[in-house]
Amino acid sequence: MTRFVERHPAWALIVIIAIAVALWLIFAVWPQGLEDAVGRKRVFLNALFNGITLGGLYFLVASGFTLIFGLMRNVNLAHGSLYLFGGYVGYAISAATGSWVLSFIVAFILTALVGVLLQVLVFRRMEGQDLRQTMVTIGLSIVFADLMLWACGGDFYQIQTPNWLIGPVELPLVTAVKSSGEPVYLRYPLVRLVIFAASVVIGVAMWLALNRTRIGMIIRAGVDDRDILAATGVRIQLVFVVVFALGAGLAGVAGVVGGTFQSLSPGEDIRFLLASLVVVIVGGMGSIPGAALGALIIGLAEQLGSVYIPTYAIVVTFLIMVLVLAIRPQGLLARR
Amino acid sequence: MAGKLVENLAKDPPKDPAMDSVAQRLSVVGAGAALELRGVTRLFGALAALTDITITVRPGERRAVLGSNGAGKTTLFNCITGDFPPSSGTIRFFGEDVTHFPPYERIRRGLRRTYQISALFPGLTVQDNVYLACRGVSRGRFSFLRPGQNDALMHAAENLVQAVHLSGVKDQRVAELAHGQQRQLEIALALAGAPRFVLFDEPAAGLSPTERAELIEILTSLPAHIGYIIIEHDMDVALRVVESVTMMHNGRIFKEGRPQEIESDPEVQELYLGGGHE
Amino acid sequence: MSLAHDTRVTVRPTAAVQRSRLRGWPEIDNPAAWAVAAILLIMPLIANGFFLIEIFATTLILGLMALSLMFLAGYGGMVSLMQLTIAGFSAYMVAVFGASGNANISLGWPWWLAVPMALALATIFGTLGGALAVRTEGIYTIMITLAIGAAFYYFTNQNWAIFNGHTGINTVATPHFWGVNWRADIPFYYIVLAVAALCYFAVDYISRAPFGLALQGVRDNPRRMAALGFNVNAHRVAAYAFASFVAALAGVLQVWNYRQISPGSVSVGACIDILIIAVVGGITRPIGPFIGALIFVLLRTFALDFLVKLGLDGNRFRLLIGLGFLAIVFWSSDGVIGLWQSWRRRQRSGAASSSGRHGREAGRESGQGSTQGSRHG
Repeated sequence: MTRFVERHPAWALIVIIAIAVALWLIFAVWPQGLEDAVGRKRVFLNALFNGITLGGLYFLVASGFTLIFGLMRNVNLAHGSLYLFGGYVGYAISAATGSWVLSFIVAFILTALVGVLLQVLVFRRMEGQDLRQTMVTIGLSIVFADLMLWACGGDFYQIQTPNWLIGPVELPLVTAVKSSGEPVYLRYPLVRLVIFAASVVIGVAMWLALNRTRIGMIIRAGVDDRDILAATGVRIQLVFVVVFALGAGLAGVAGVVGGTFQSLSPGEDIRFLLASLVVVIVGGMGSIPGAALGALIIGLAEQLGSVYIPTYAIVVTFLIMVLVLAIRPQGLLARR
Repeated sequence: MAGKLVENLAKDPPKDPAMDSVAQRLSVVGAGAALELRGVTRLFGALAALTDITITVRPGERRAVLGSNGAGKTTLFNCITGDFPPSSGTIRFFGEDVTHFPPYERIRRGLRRTYQISALFPGLTVQDNVYLACRGVSRGRFSFLRPGQNDALMHAAENLVQAVHLSGVKDQRVAELAHGQQRQLEIALALAGAPRFVLFDEPAAGLSPTERAELIEILTSLPAHIGYIIIEHDMDVALRVVESVTMMHNGRIFKEGRPQEIESDPEVQELYLGGGHE
Repeated sequence: MSLAHDTRVTVRPTAAVQRSRLRGWPEIDNPAAWAVAAILLIMPLIANGFFLIEIFATTLILGLMALSLMFLAGYGGMVSLMQLTIAGFSAYMVAVFGASGNANISLGWPWWLAVPMALALATIFGTLGGALAVRTEGIYTIMITLAIGAAFYYFTNQNWAIFNGHTGINTVATPHFWGVNWRADIPFYYIVLAVAALCYFAVDYISRAPFGLALQGVRDNPRRMAALGFNVNAHRVAAYAFASFVAALAGVLQVWNYRQISPGSVSVGACIDILIIAVVGGITRPIGPFIGALIFVLLRTFALDFLVKLGLDGNRFRLLIGLGFLAIVFWSSDGVIGLWQSWRRRQRSGAASSSGRHGREAGRESGQGSTQGSRHG
């Protein structure tokens, strides 16, 4: 951090000013002039929170994608299919048992299992052939998409939010002050906050697992230099299978999350694949902190964009990607 | 064979007008050195692969760079050609500061190199490989027109193929060539156009004794104005084709001198001839 | 990480063939190619309007888009998933600058102004996309170009001012001049055939010109290319520019063919279809994309009947495509041409083994096989 400030004082200053402005926008009561110019503070805060929580969801999807890519150089373009598969499984379980938590567990296990099967049966046979693996994942994504369309039809599904999470919660953030002088606080859906908290927990857990455990060290070493893995005598295939299972399982969990606060339908697989692609391109391939930063940026850009410049929201996301590629092609937090 | 090569190189005037102008300018300026490195350092993360390298090579001078594995020899080449830019220091090529030039700009000014592990185009034929080398240092790199019957570069490429004894396999894909043939092709690529200075990275690696003899013949019979630096583990080869030697150790210059001095230097013998090299 | 490294074909070129290829057209001494050319030329006599347009013209148009991908992937080692997007952009531009049923959007220019404009803009669009993609290497190209394609799809859906949202632009005008309606089945077929043939031969020709050779050099070993004096990235971007132009031509034909353009035509699935077509056909030779397109179009048109006949659900066309694609990727390094060639070679070497020749010489005699083999880089 201090090294960053030393090396890029101008950038550091810009970042600090941006953070200060953002904090002011969040905590201060907006003056009338500002509300006239850009709209109500409640709208802004809602978009902001939606962006952050959407970022949490994107992180869940993209972290698995980036982990698999980082270790195995496998661009898994069937990752979106795993997301959708997890969502459908979660829906089925939650509809059958009524248990939201159980749907997460089963979705994680089943998608992880699919991941294991893919790694063992398919990708192990074509190790080192990046392009062929990618082609296979494209073929798989088409097959999966059609199988799921066959099984689930083209309908929209939404996973039932459990009772204890339904309804908004009042946050200690003032959106406006009534004429009586009484402050109005922001009310925000509890489920989204809980899910965001959960994705932060998962992210921190992953970071700790990667930085503090033996297998995490091995995986990180493998991301940096795959030849090291072979040299350490680790059972490399086992590591690959574990990582693939984890990455796929996270996509499945994300599917349940997405199915809860958005909806599931054919085409969502592509949408979340695209989101993962952009997130890891922006954040840096193979980097978990990069995926977190990228997910936050893209989630915010999408939500704020859709509120303030509705017809060009997708362009904002895209421009961010272009900008990153132009300035730092390896991604914001990638090492190389 | 070597005589033929020399003939071809001598016959081939520089094709690129841009290069002519460089040559003219240099003859006016009066370049003192073909290659001049000042304080070149290259870091990989925290690891220093090269530390404060200062070398001056006269035009036409032939020099060997010796040193054990990991001494930084190939990194030195990569810095000179621009494959990795140096972390600090300056590189001048015939008087011109090329430190921040991309590799292709340096090549177009007459610098050439070969690679330790053959870096060829396996999907293309021998003839096409050499043709590309000739094309790379002339105009028309983006030409959409196929070369015609009397294409000068095509002829230049054919002559070069002949000079390195590959005429018999010139229409074979490079992937099918034997190792020795690939090494010869590697050299042909570096001699295309009008080279002024060549970096040879272990050209003798994996060659048979006969092929080594041929290599020595090629090197010793290059036109006098072409200087080179050669990295070579085989002292017999290295010391027969150069007039000066630079010893490297741990990314630093350890000793410089004439071949005989270096060979008889006790420190060098201790470090290199005795220890690292068997 | 070029495609050719992964999909290296084992066909050996031979000296004789290679030499003749340097200057002449390889097809001139190939009877099969002449036969195909003749059949394509007299097709309107054989096929009715449905086959002419729905099968053959559509095949050639999709083949053109896949050809632009083949040029990038086969010669340049850059697998771009945005070729359909470029074609779609060009199609949109024809609709926007030309005349259409959406008078509030279309500017109503005559086709001879609208088309060059569309080609120019689409080429610029593709070149800029390429310039972005070449900033990273190898496998990242797929991700970046896919992201560009997807962004364009979502943008056309959201934007009403130019792209008319999800309804797209309908009843696009087609050219009428010299008293001919060029969108009538037979004239349109010949336009498409002419453009496809032109692009096919252009790609084939360029593959042996300095630019094409240098591109193959960039594919095989970019670092060495730089050490030979080539500006590698400039070459890559130039390749994108050329491929974009081919894709843009296909886009113009596409919008004339369907007379409408909507986000559905530039969806991510459609982008991936182009890759499937090129890979199934064979990505190392310009003929591959057209073969792949024919297979794709036939499947798409007749899969319903075929599947129902097998007692399956007729809606499972995509499943069939996906499985077929997987099978090709698993078993052939070079699409169906690769499969056919290795089968031919096995036949030949089986027949020739008694006289002691090996596969390489056998390949030389099977005119077609070795001609195409030698084009592989």
